Amino acid sequence: MNASPETLPSALAVVDQRAAAKTNPETVTAIMLLLATVLLIFGSKLISPALGSWEQVLTILTLGSFLLVAAFGQGLVILTGGLDLSVPGTFMLGGVLSAAWIGSGDVHLWFFLPTILLLGGVVGAANGLGVVLLKVPPFIMTMGMSIIVGSIALGYTGGSTLGAAPTLLKALMKGDTLGVPNIVLLILVFSIAGWLLQSRTHFGRNLYAVGCSPAAARIAGIPITRTLVLVYALSGIASAFAGALLTGYSNGATLRMGDAYLLPTVAAVILGGASILGGSGSFINTLCGVLFLSTVESVIAATGLDQGWRLIISGTIIVLAILIQQAQASGARPGLSRLFKRSSGQPKS
Amino acid sequence: MIQSMTRRWHALALTLTIAAGAVFMAPVHADEPKKFKIYLSLSYSGNNWMSETANIIKALAKTPPYDKLVDLKEVISGTDPQAQIAAYESMIDAGADGVISFPISPTALNRVVKRGCERGVKFFMYDSTVTESCAYNVSYISAGFGENTAQALVNELGGKGKIFMVRGVPGTSVDKRHADGAKAIFAKYPGIEVVSEYYGMWDDRIAQQETAKALAAHPDVDGIWSELGEAGTLNAVADRGGKMVPIVGENMNGFRLGFLNPDYQKRGLQGVSSGSPPATAGYAFKLMMEILTGKRKQEPVSIEYPLPWATSEQIKLCNGSKIENGCNVFDASLVPQGFSTVIHDDVLLPEIDLRAALEGKPVDGMTIQPLPAAIHQAPPEPGINCQRCEAPADHYKLTVVQPTVAGQ
Repeated sequence: MNASPETLPSALAVVDQRAAAKTNPETVTAIMLLLATVLLIFGSKLISPALGSWEQVLTILTLGSFLLVAAFGQGLVILTGGLDLSVPGTFMLGGVLSAAWIGSGDVHLWFFLPTILLLGGVVGAANGLGVVLLKVPPFIMTMGMSIIVGSIALGYTGGSTLGAAPTLLKALMKGDTLGVPNIVLLILVFSIAGWLLQSRTHFGRNLYAVGCSPAAARIAGIPITRTLVLVYALSGIASAFAGALLTGYSNGATLRMGDAYLLPTVAAVILGGASILGGSGSFINTLCGVLFLSTVESVIAATGLDQGWRLIISGTIIVLAILIQQAQASGARPGLSRLFKRSSGQPKS
Repeated sequence: MIQSMTRRWHALALTLTIAAGAVFMAPVHADEPKKFKIYLSLSYSGNNWMSETANIIKALAKTPPYDKLVDLKEVISGTDPQAQIAAYESMIDAGADGVISFPISPTALNRVVKRGCERGVKFFMYDSTVTESCAYNVSYISAGFGENTAQALVNELGGKGKIFMVRGVPGTSVDKRHADGAKAIFAKYPGIEVVSEYYGMWDDRIAQQETAKALAAHPDVDGIWSELGEAGTLNAVADRGGKMVPIVGENMNGFRLGFLNPDYQKRGLQGVSSGSPPATAGYAFKLMMEILTGKRKQEPVSIEYPLPWATSEQIKLCNGSKIENGCNVFDASLVPQGFSTVIHDDVLLPEIDLRAALEGKPVDGMTIQPLPAAIHQAPPEPGINCQRCEAPADHYKLTVVQPTVAGQ
């Protein structure tokens, strides 16, 4: 959905300039994350000589793909100054329905798969409507929605999630095309599409404007209601798709399958340099955040440490990475973002 | 501000408690006073195992003659012990005759259980246990899943090799008991090296992802010991192609089907399927009903459910949903891979078939069959079925399998 030309008057030019001014520190963050990821992968040879291999990279990419897809939606919502806590609900919805409605028999796959994604979008759109029209804080609206979706699923399935993975999803996760693993192609295509949507369309630019200052965006003629509803709907679709992918990978679904993905989606977006208050961030950076997080998890898993130590180390690395990234960002543009936030006077949830 | 918020939360909590209490205290079937009021209390639902146990109990409660004797109500209270305590309280106040439950904690529920016992409520815990001595525990936990499967793996590997340990949910007494038992065996074999130990959270998706990570670091692993979630463990091993390693695990349908897969057989998959049987719930329910109806005299006790055990050679596909001729796994089109297969026992639980476990419906023409008079009392398991007690000297003794390789 593109905004019409008259909705982009001079006010947005300011945003565009800001985006241009930010390019540099954002790129630095992305490069630093990628460097850290590569270093970790090669450094992991010290832990086990088998690591640092293409197989390890492929494992990281496969396990990171669910997070990447869900973090795309989360990134869009955070960009507008919101937060999507319904990820566990919509994620599970996508996964459970892919197994229950389509299953390994590929029953009406071409009808049901889009329908399931659309359902994720409907749940997301309901979030958006609640946030915009009923003025419910995004935090509460999306959390409530996740509980509602989870409860409906519990009632509908009676706790027992039936079915197995559709062939298409299995092939997406495990197959090859012309010698290239499908999961690599999927990540490439998804990343390019996500980047184009967020950085090269009017809709994407509108998100920055809404996130920086809803009031200014409204004055600029940006259709805020439509934009926000669409953003939450996209997040619902993305996380339902991520759930479907996990079903494809693991050949089945459970009602709790999305629980583990909520906080990592936020962490990946913030690690990528986005502001939790909205108005900044890019999808390529989120991609780098996902790669870094997945690599940290994979390398720590190889250390053979106790579970407690693993969690402590992975938590510490995430906090350190965010501290470094923030120091670097504020060093590159001293106080600019904070100044802007204060002058906009818009408290964000 | 904070104070007023706290007060508001307190008020909300109080309102909810009263509302819940009102629901439970509502007169139930006042015109059928002879029925036993039984509550089924689950800690959480959302996996196959838990809903299978609930379905088994529901099907039994509808099987004659219990269909005329039992008024069954189900309460799911989430993973928080406080919620289950509140649920038990309401059940006691509502005049329950019996509570059959999967308890979330072996100790946190003790006080409320004791209060219920004093009011004449019979508490039957299945699979997981409580240490309160007035409750009946019915569980396989003490039957030695950890040590027996570990020994089977050691035998398979000839006493040496690199292995993974896929554990369950950290901090639970069940996970600790299983892993301690397994480690007691592995410790006897210096040639056995645990190169990676990680938590699959009793979930096949998580077990699969964690195993994929471990395989990237240790592609030369020789065998895997896995708690529930082993269908995912198997998927991860199968996904990487090439030779497969022996896996010992629990009873998931997808895991057992793996042993019948010709491709996997060719690639060398061997193993044992053991672990937590949903049938325990049915056995516990039948015991409770025999005691409530006066057919059996039995003081509160911890009862051991026999450890299910099937080697890869003993796995046999059932014809459709019928469980007969010793078959022990279902076609993939009938159940999800995470379905726990041990839902039936020819002696202890002949009333249950696949439909009963999936839908909670009784088997046509079936009546409740009496249980054997003898019960198998569980040994003391500190922190699991007793509080101030000591485990027997032969705590981790092997019961199902014997060593074929000499250990230290």
